[in-house]
Amino acid sequence: MTARSKNIKVITGNTAAAYAVLLCRPDVVSAYPITPQSELVEQLAKFHADGLLDCEYVAVEGENSAQNVACAAVMAGGRAFTATSSYGLVYMYDTLLQTSGYRAPLVMVNVNREPPGIHAVYSGQQDMICTRDSGWIQVVVENCQEILDTIIMSYRLAEDYDIQLPVMVNYDGYYLSFLAESVDIPEQKDVDRFLAPLKDQPPRMKLVAGAGTGCGSHGIGMGFVEYRKKHMAAMERSKELWDKIDADFKKAFRRGYGGQIESYKCDDADIVLIASGSAVGTARAVIDAKREQGIKVGLVKLRFFRPFPVEKLSMVLKGKKAIGVLDRSICFGWNCGPVFQEICALSRHIGIMPMLSFIDGLANMDITKEHIAGMIDEIYKASQNKPYQELTWLP
Amino acid sequence: MAVKLNKLPKVTEYYCDEDQFSPGNACCPGCIMELNLRLVSKIMGKDAILLGTPGCSAPTIHGQNDRAWHKHSYYACVMTGVASSATGIARYYKKAGIDATIVCHTGDGCAQDIGIQTISGAAERNENVIYICYDNEGYMNTGVQRSSATPYGAATSTTPVGSKSIGKTTNSKNMPMIMAMHDIPYVATATLSHLEDYAKKLTKAKEMVKQGFVYLHVFCPCTVGWKVRPDSSIAVCRAAVQSNYFPLWEVENGEYRITQPVAKPKPINEMLKLIGKFNHLKDEEISVLQQQSDKRFSILKALCGISA
Amino acid sequence: MGLKTENKYLFKYEACWSDGNNALLCLNTGDWRTSRPVINDELCNSCGICMTFCPPQCITKKDNSFVINLGFCKGCGICAKECPRKAINMTPEGDYTDDCKI
Repeated sequence: MTARSKNIKVITGNTAAAYAVLLCRPDVVSAYPITPQSELVEQLAKFHADGLLDCEYVAVEGENSAQNVACAAVMAGGRAFTATSSYGLVYMYDTLLQTSGYRAPLVMVNVNREPPGIHAVYSGQQDMICTRDSGWIQVVVENCQEILDTIIMSYRLAEDYDIQLPVMVNYDGYYLSFLAESVDIPEQKDVDRFLAPLKDQPPRMKLVAGAGTGCGSHGIGMGFVEYRKKHMAAMERSKELWDKIDADFKKAFRRGYGGQIESYKCDDADIVLIASGSAVGTARAVIDAKREQGIKVGLVKLRFFRPFPVEKLSMVLKGKKAIGVLDRSICFGWNCGPVFQEICALSRHIGIMPMLSFIDGLANMDITKEHIAGMIDEIYKASQNKPYQELTWLP
Repeated sequence: MAVKLNKLPKVTEYYCDEDQFSPGNACCPGCIMELNLRLVSKIMGKDAILLGTPGCSAPTIHGQNDRAWHKHSYYACVMTGVASSATGIARYYKKAGIDATIVCHTGDGCAQDIGIQTISGAAERNENVIYICYDNEGYMNTGVQRSSATPYGAATSTTPVGSKSIGKTTNSKNMPMIMAMHDIPYVATATLSHLEDYAKKLTKAKEMVKQGFVYLHVFCPCTVGWKVRPDSSIAVCRAAVQSNYFPLWEVENGEYRITQPVAKPKPINEMLKLIGKFNHLKDEEISVLQQQSDKRFSILKALCGISA
Repeated sequence: MGLKTENKYLFKYEACWSDGNNALLCLNTGDWRTSRPVINDELCNSCGICMTFCPPQCITKKDNSFVINLGFCKGCGICAKECPRKAINMTPEGDYTDDCKI
């Protein structure tokens, strides 16, 4: 049955995330404020204070504790939520690895901001890149509505019996966290119905007093190897399931996002630009404009960053004449953007063609339509066998 | 032939369940942290959930692949996350209406150094968690390195004795007092020479945890790290209590009291002479330790006086 | 060599859980010691202090006396030192040839 919502509010990305958490009925919320996420945890505290959010709200003394509280609550059998950004994300890194290693089905929001190294209280995706290999499922979203919807879908994915992996929902600090857009807030009963299949599953392992359940046993020898393999296998399974969950969501709420990636005007495209996050919205407009000028360009919106959507991307990118990747971060050691580096690794599936790396949008520097138009021009040049620049730093 | 007594020592009256630990574990001979673990297991009961972290107790609390060294449910934490993980479990159980005794069991390295932030945060939030710190005055499991619980003058592998060094040159932290200043319902010090006193405190901890955070600081000599004869661990504990170096006290909702008052305290040397890590100390260095110990005890006495 | 397919996994869990209902891990710690405690029944008054102080808790009360499980006694000597009646003597293992029975 399709839900018809009557509840449209103009709210910021942080508030949209707070509504999503409210609707998912967590048992434990633990968080520590950090710009640009603070509003999210403050809104949750307000929901809790007004009796709307029936959970244990733990105002921890640091992000490291926030992750520990959430991970332990999940391993004890509950549903938990935490949120952070940049400095907080790296501060909780030891337990971040524990959460995925323990296969704790936790959902977390990371509001993208430049991490330590160069002090900045500005947007950037470097923090997400810092935790690439943490073993978490990582999703990136484009707008406030998608923030709300993706958090709900993330619980469906994380707590699926065959997956049991933590999910990190990333959205750009400032560009989405503080941007107010109109957001359709689903009804509680419809979200309950969407998450209901989780209740019909076999019970997952959890800590039970007096039952000899030992959580976090040492991996010795082949035990260690086996748990790693199982973790990798679960990540692989999550790709297909995410597409299915997206389709279920679309049926239930009349909004879908394409699953692991969204390909926009790529079918007949000669060249493709790949982007993620809020920049996608800007890019869409530029793609349309360039199409009017006769350039057959397509856009791929990367939603799943981990696991990397190898199969879906390969299907879309195979045979294209040139590919450009817009990164809002850098890949130390490879002198390019990180997603660009990963797209290069697809060559064994899609063939060799010119690939271009564009680094833009660091530290709240706007990614403008002119920038994107310039990127498309450069990709086009590459597709025409003209000399081109492989790495471009913008602005 | 001696007349056989019919009674067992009083501590046995506090046992609630059998010792849930395997009879053969890797603790060193004479290690009284092993005695501590088994006592905690018996008094907290088989349904207690233990939280451990890297340290001496970890190889005994944490399992290996799918087997364990004991029958308790446990949760293994990273060193920065013991009290916070306990919070997560306690809060979820509160929400779900599940009754359980949650016991953190870590060394001084975790409680006082790397994990002090989380323990302080959990105490300030008054979480319903029992935290037992076994104080062997250093990072013993990883090779006898110094911690903030290592006393002045002690030789460790990171404060070794040499021509330019007498060992650690700073005083140790007074962790039980730090925790008492968090105004939590119950803080107590205990040691393994006074088993009945410790058993009473463990039993009280089970009650007081219903009100909030409980902290127990247990003096636990390390035979290997301190260079103590394996048969003398209990004797060292006793000497520590009798010299007021480690007085046995508790504070219950702000009321301080010394649970084992010592009428005629012995000089600190009575304890030091049993411990190899202090062998190199000269008389003036020993008197520094004596003064520090006396000063600390006088603060405790003053607090007890205020409470009286 | 190595795990190639799902059904060749050695452990049933997806992550590192242990089960306290499985056989507990156990070391033959009785092999560690170089001397063993021997209780002199004439002097022992069954006060039980040795039992309470034994770190591996391998002393148990049997009828009206105390028995040491030599399978797990590590030979630390705490029982001998703490016995108020000096009724326990640490005797070198070299004096014995019998096997330890658990």
